[in-house]
Amino acid sequence: MSDFDFDIIWTTWPILRDATWISIKLFVLSLILATAIGLAVALMRMSKITPLRWFAAIYVWIFRGLPALVILFIAFFWLGNNLGLTPFQSAILGLGVSSGAYKAEIIRAGLLAVDRGQYEASEALGFTKVHYMRRIIIPQGIRVMVPNYVSNSTLLFKSTSLATVIGLNELTGRARQLANSTFQPIEILAAAGVIYLVFTSLMTLSQGFIERRFALKT
Amino acid sequence: MDVGFIIDIMPEILEGFSTTVRLFLWSMLFSTPLGLALALMRLSPLGPFRWVAGFYGWLVRGIPLILIMFYVFFALPEFGEAFLLSPFWSAVAALSVWTASYQAEAIRSGVLAVDQGQFEAAEALGMTKLHYMRRIVLPQSVRIIVPPFTGNAINTLKQTSLATVITVPEMSLLTTRIISREFNALEPLLALAIIYLALTTVLVFAQQGLERAFRLKA
Amino acid sequence: MAPLDNVAPLVKVEGLTKSFGDNQILNGIDLEVAAGEVVSIIGPSGSGKTTILRCLNLLERPDGGRIEIDGQMLCEDGANGRINFAGKSEIRKIREEVGMVFQRFNLFPHMTALENVVEAPMAVKGADKAVAKARALELLDSVGLSHRADHYPLQMSGGQQQRVAIARALAMDPAVMLFDEVTSAVDPELAGEILLVMKQLAEQGMTMIVVTHEMGFAADVSDRVLFIDHGLVIEQGKASQVLGSPQQDRTKAFLKAVLERTPMAEENADSPPVETEESWGTGAGVDESEQIASLESEVARLRQELDAATTTDEPTTDEPTESGE
Repeated sequence: MSDFDFDIIWTTWPILRDATWISIKLFVLSLILATAIGLAVALMRMSKITPLRWFAAIYVWIFRGLPALVILFIAFFWLGNNLGLTPFQSAILGLGVSSGAYKAEIIRAGLLAVDRGQYEASEALGFTKVHYMRRIIIPQGIRVMVPNYVSNSTLLFKSTSLATVIGLNELTGRARQLANSTFQPIEILAAAGVIYLVFTSLMTLSQGFIERRFALKT
Repeated sequence: MDVGFIIDIMPEILEGFSTTVRLFLWSMLFSTPLGLALALMRLSPLGPFRWVAGFYGWLVRGIPLILIMFYVFFALPEFGEAFLLSPFWSAVAALSVWTASYQAEAIRSGVLAVDQGQFEAAEALGMTKLHYMRRIVLPQSVRIIVPPFTGNAINTLKQTSLATVITVPEMSLLTTRIISREFNALEPLLALAIIYLALTTVLVFAQQGLERAFRLKA
Repeated sequence: MAPLDNVAPLVKVEGLTKSFGDNQILNGIDLEVAAGEVVSIIGPSGSGKTTILRCLNLLERPDGGRIEIDGQMLCEDGANGRINFAGKSEIRKIREEVGMVFQRFNLFPHMTALENVVEAPMAVKGADKAVAKARALELLDSVGLSHRADHYPLQMSGGQQQRVAIARALAMDPAVMLFDEVTSAVDPELAGEILLVMKQLAEQGMTMIVVTHEMGFAADVSDRVLFIDHGLVIEQGKASQVLGSPQQDRTKAFLKAVLERTPMAEENADSPPVETEESWGTGAGVDESEQIASLESEVARLRQELDAATTTDEPTTDEPTESGE
């Protein structure tokens, strides 16, 4: 390890930095998509309308049962080709759809954890369902969801590395190319690892802040 | 969509089935004792043990599995001939290291969930730590460990697909070869998805069976 | 305060039935409540008292019967033997008129007391924020909690939370208030502050239907007491009459058990037997015969006051309904 070459990291830093940006953009956009899908599917699973419940259950079964890689392949090779999506758009779609299935389960568990009396009080006061889900139930469910939501999002950030298999030059893919072309995989891949660690650690640390933000005042 | 074509290419994809299953079984075989050791280290009263195991978990869970695969496959050989592994064993090594970090968490939280009184009673009876962990604590925590442990195993099965990136000829890699040969993505991907979905669904049923088997007799 | 005879009842229930699975909870309840009337519903656990209240705003959907509130039909038996319910928006409209206070408060824990009170007027009635806030502060003041407006529910005692819950229901300007064993989940020494608020409300002429274990309150405040058992109205009448000189054996047995503080035999209770936690509000540690005596004299005094204060007729004097064995 004494000949660990830091210079190569500084030399390639601009390339790694740009690739990190792509990873972050992938993460943020697929997180938004996954959250929207997760919320919709969770509400469908709790719906009174049976076909919606079935649809949601099948969605979760399929997309949690498949490797994210396969979903990404479908989004890229098939949908991407037929709809004319760029690899970047395909990656967002694949990651969002895959992660959405997990988010749905997390959100549903959070909403089910809200006391039944909250639903009853809301109904008794004459709130519409849309109103009380938005103002009463979801804000309380969030408290229960935060830990799982954050750790699942950390997972999603790491999963952006899958986009490398459909040719996107995000951090992992770029690092591998640089490792090959510089013949210094030890340093380059370690540098990429450190960048991931910084982000995943920050996300884990932020969990405490978010939990305090949503904690009930006692 | 051509159902006949799906059936026709199924055997070709299934040639990778045994590779997928072997990746999975070897990874479980190595990761389980490693995960148990890491969990016990994290529970140890000795600081250095705890730190090493804690650092391991933070490191391995903080970076993407693909990057770990790249590191094992591209970077490790640079440390010496002894580390030069075939793609298959590189993938097994990466999957084992990765799975162990999650299994360690599952086992640790299971042990922590055992009632403090059980530890105290065992100590009061003069049992050695080794004895009461083996005979008293672990048997009780198994019940709590089973669901997350099998959940992690199902994840590992899905993640074997990532071995594609280091050219292990498992099912996903064979499927991408068919796609580029046939200029047709939908049917090969559907065939692949059906196989994975069947595998994970069987494992989910096995998980539920295990949970029932380990339920406390009341 | 007392209703006029020629005015249609505010709440009208006919032949209400409800079962949970094989368990028949309500066996045909008839109930009429006039505007301004305070009706207490008493009876053993599992007798169906709470289910009646929960049917009145359709938190529970009855299997049969008819409910009308302020002239609006909530549900009624259809021709084909199935019950018909009002449409979604009509139900919400009726719920605006029916305030409910729950045993376990059900305050929104992520909102302050003030936010709890203003939420419904603003969301359901579209009230202006400033107006709703001023009204909410007024209501919090009337339940003695203006100094707790910015506190969160978990920062308050059970008695305080329940008083906020009362203010929250009142903020909708309901025509009738339902109280579902509102003191059962608070420490006995805090029950009094809730009962006092309810008593003031009754004095202001609010129409109230109160499911309660508090016999002292039932005697003190209500115009009429209903004794329910096995999903039937066994006996009803003036408080002094039902509590003071009950006619039916089951009523007598119930009151005797309450006074002896022994659990009633519960044949159809789906919940484990609950101790009949009749506390007398004021009478902790007082001898039982003294309590009965004080109850009787209290009822007599209240009646006299009431008679003196009203020139109109006595509140509803339904014949005690003997609606089944």
